[in-house]
Amino acid sequence: MTFWELYGQKLIAAIGVHFLYVLTAVSIGFIVALALGIFLSRVPGIAKVVIPLISVFQTIPGIVFIALLFLWLGMVPAAAVAALAIYAVFPILKNTYVGLLSVPDSLLEAARGCGMSKMQSLFEVELPLATPSIIGGLRMSTVYTVSWAVLASMIGLGGLGEFIYIGIATNNNALIIAGAVPSGIMAIALSLLIDFVKKKMTHAPAKEVASE
Amino acid sequence: MIEFRNVSKSYGKDLVLDNLSFEIKEGQFAVLIGQSGCGKTTTLKSINRLIEPDSGHIFVGGKDISQADPVKLRRSIGYVIQQIGLFPNMTIAQNIGVVPKRLKYEKSEILRITRELMNMVGLSYEEYGHKYPSELSGGQQQRIGVLRALAASPSIVLMDEPFGALDPMTRNTLQEEIIRLHKKLNKTFVFVTHDMDEALKLADVIIFMDSGHILQMATPEEMLENPASDLIRSFMGKRVADSSPVHLTVADFMRPDPISVYKSRSVRECTAIMARRNIDSLLIKNDDDTYAGVITVNGIKKSGKTTGPIGELPISQNAVSYVGEDAAEAFDKLLNSDNDYVVALNEDNTIAGIVTKTSMARAMADALWGGDAS
Repeated sequence: MTFWELYGQKLIAAIGVHFLYVLTAVSIGFIVALALGIFLSRVPGIAKVVIPLISVFQTIPGIVFIALLFLWLGMVPAAAVAALAIYAVFPILKNTYVGLLSVPDSLLEAARGCGMSKMQSLFEVELPLATPSIIGGLRMSTVYTVSWAVLASMIGLGGLGEFIYIGIATNNNALIIAGAVPSGIMAIALSLLIDFVKKKMTHAPAKEVASE
Repeated sequence: MIEFRNVSKSYGKDLVLDNLSFEIKEGQFAVLIGQSGCGKTTTLKSINRLIEPDSGHIFVGGKDISQADPVKLRRSIGYVIQQIGLFPNMTIAQNIGVVPKRLKYEKSEILRITRELMNMVGLSYEEYGHKYPSELSGGQQQRIGVLRALAASPSIVLMDEPFGALDPMTRNTLQEEIIRLHKKLNKTFVFVTHDMDEALKLADVIIFMDSGHILQMATPEEMLENPASDLIRSFMGKRVADSSPVHLTVADFMRPDPISVYKSRSVRECTAIMARRNIDSLLIKNDDDTYAGVITVNGIKKSGKTTGPIGELPISQNAVSYVGEDAAEAFDKLLNSDNDYVVALNEDNTIAGIVTKTSMARAMADALWGGDAS
């Protein structure tokens, strides 16, 4: 029996599960981070306290946090997704916050002076200008989450981590590679995809005009 | 059109606007000028409520703006800033259309306005409309900045040192353009600058501010002729009315400290001085420093004397003027006498200077073109 015949089905399922973990975790993380980032950029007083705290929090190893969440929520996929989502929040949150703060004051004043409401200024000037920074954070989060998802599945919730975990336990190199290579490819592919989207988005205004 | 009534504003302990009251009339080009920190920018930004005064009222078109919705108010008032502030994520056309879009103009109408405005400043819509601000030069960008302020045809346009960051050539061109736009559009412009040349060039009325007060509010001509304080005078620099030809006195025209000798000097010494200084006459003074007369090379020759004190020679009398006299009189004396110069005397009859045709011309040039013309 070849490796493929033996593990092929399982591997594809594992890739699927892994990808689903990443997708849900990053999506949730992105929405939370964007909202939080916008909020923090409006209230500098709170941001001054929260942003350094987040940096400290980020240094806690993911595995510790995942283990804690398992103790609390039990061995359910939701626990893994929640843990991954929380970790996905940090890079996006930080980049959103920094991106919004780096919009020059002169543009904020111009936006106000042109009679834009706060919302219009946010959505038409500040967020578009912070977009490259935000997407940069998204890319970082995605790549991290692909590797963190390996940790989550090592505790027994499927995904590519399972292959690596069993491979190490049974001294089976083929299994380790079968788990490691697809997750590596997934990280690189997603990173390239996001870069592509970023390029598209920063060119977007030109197209919009052309179609008018 | 715009009226300030007892407006005050302070930041902490600093009083930026101190009970300010003034009125700008409809269609005027008003220029706010003063040193940095004098409150000119605060005044400007109070008009579209980017800054809220602590007390007092501001009326625009007869309405108290503190009762207006600030967002709506700003859409009805054009605003241009020094940093230009075009939105880099929008094209030139989108930037110009920002306010009309907020006011829900039809797309076709926005396009028409954008084309028309761009034509007015010589930037074709076809060439520049779809470009991004970063693709334009600073001068072109600020033209667009001005157009953005004009797009929704506001009756008031506020400009905060709009040309301050541009090079002198570009600034000059844009000043010409803004004058043209003002004449053509018949809007009220309020313009902040710290450059008196710019103020004199653009303004219908100049509002000179210092530490939250108005020192003087006047037309450029009035301010030039009668600056209300030394600070304004110093801002005007060499342009100020002191040197306006009408009020010039002999003191302004004379060449001070001419070469003069006491009567007791010897003839030989005097000829030596004349030779060395390359002049053909000397002013002679009495022992008490009062003016005695003039001796010329010809006079010495005619007398035939080469020794003895110069005072014993026949001294000729030039036309004299006193320093406080009107320059025009001295000028007449100079033209009507055979002398090359008129002697200018102080009140105590000591010598102050001489008025020559050259010194006269130089003083005229100074008055007309400023001190660096010499």
